[in-house]
Amino acid sequence: MSKAQDALLDPLFNNNPIALQILGICSALAVTNKLSTALTMTIAVTLVTGFSNASISAIRNHIPNSIRIIVQMTIIATLVIIIDQMLKAFAYEMSKALSVYVGLIITNCIVMGRAEAYAMKNPVYESFMDGIGNGLGYGLVLLAVGFVRELFGSGKLFGLTILSPVNDGGWYVTNGLMLLAPSAFFLIGFIIWGLRTWKPELQE
Amino acid sequence: MSNDSILKTFLVAFLLCVVCSVLVCMAALVRIDKEAYNKQLEIRKTVLAAGGFQQQIDDGGNIDELFTTNMELKLIDLDSGEFTTAVDSVTYNQKEAVSDPALSEAIPADLDVAGIGTRAKYAAVYQATNGDLVLPIRGAGMWGPMYGYVAVADDCTTIKGFTFYQHAETPGLGAEVDNPRWKAQWPGKQIFDNSGALALKIVKNGRMDPNAADAINTIDGLAGATVTGNKVQGIVRYWFSQHGFGKFLANQKAKRG
Repeated sequence: MSKAQDALLDPLFNNNPIALQILGICSALAVTNKLSTALTMTIAVTLVTGFSNASISAIRNHIPNSIRIIVQMTIIATLVIIIDQMLKAFAYEMSKALSVYVGLIITNCIVMGRAEAYAMKNPVYESFMDGIGNGLGYGLVLLAVGFVRELFGSGKLFGLTILSPVNDGGWYVTNGLMLLAPSAFFLIGFIIWGLRTWKPELQE
Repeated sequence: MSNDSILKTFLVAFLLCVVCSVLVCMAALVRIDKEAYNKQLEIRKTVLAAGGFQQQIDDGGNIDELFTTNMELKLIDLDSGEFTTAVDSVTYNQKEAVSDPALSEAIPADLDVAGIGTRAKYAAVYQATNGDLVLPIRGAGMWGPMYGYVAVADDCTTIKGFTFYQHAETPGLGAEVDNPRWKAQWPGKQIFDNSGALALKIVKNGRMDPNAADAINTIDGLAGATVTGNKVQGIVRYWFSQHGFGKFLANQKAKRG
């Protein structure tokens, strides 16, 4: 496989930012009680990691070493603010559901980590792919957790009723724990367990 | 020029700031343009939903059109219970007025069953073309403030609709205040009993007796959300008390006969 392909596909399972590097857990707990919010967050983070990696890589030979972290931070913050503002303008209800967590992408360790560890040393195209790959690796876990939480917590997927809940006159007694943040801890734990059983070389 | 020279450091920092701030400004301009409209749309949607237009909204009706043809914004002075033009109804912001000493007043502790401390002097209400009144309500919920609207029919005692547009209740339990099935039992309930006294109450889930004499004043609470039920009861009871909309509704009832 080419280097760019590696950069894109490696973070999905072999080097997943949440399951292996245990980064970005905060937002993974907060926005996964519905698939729609998890998907929006996935797209937002993937765009930010992709374009921050690409732009940092593009100017990597001109960034003075003494201010490199703040330069990365400024670029990341700019991208996050643009996405946050666009959500507020064009998807107002979604931006309310995600509340502060879009803004908090700035402090998501995945974005900063990839900028410092990969984009500072690699060409633009590979860096962009690495950013997209890490965003998708993060999103994969988010969507898996969101799938379980929405299905068992509210009996729905993307807001469409799958298991008709008793509160709406159906038969399914919803699992209230799934609607609360701690359930994501358990689910992420199971995902990490499953991933490391499937790929024993990931065990530490 | 060396990357680590002082000149280069300042140059890179300066250029980066210029480029980033231009981008952020452009994004903010797009957002400011849209956000005011989005917020207005949300309020309009809530007012229409409380006022009994949920079906038309679900059927894909144009919210702005439904709103402008059916609703009229009016200001009332809560102390006198009369309509007022003391402040401009278009620019008046009731949420901001609460923290403005000139436009708000403290609620005596023994009357403050909604747990809000102060309320605005003037309330922005919506009068529907059929005479229904859509009244703003707010109060302390279990985890945070709750904001909503309650619609009262032309007779000034029958509830037409009830909805919250902002709250932080527990998902799956208290947050079921948003469940259409729960909200569906509000329309038709009477706020006041035959003697005109405030009678609306929320009982614990399952304790509601449909044959009781006061069933018309009673709302069945939410399962597993007793605290939220009590808070919502406090909110509606405060806002329909003499310190809330009580005087206004009594005046309207007398006028409308």
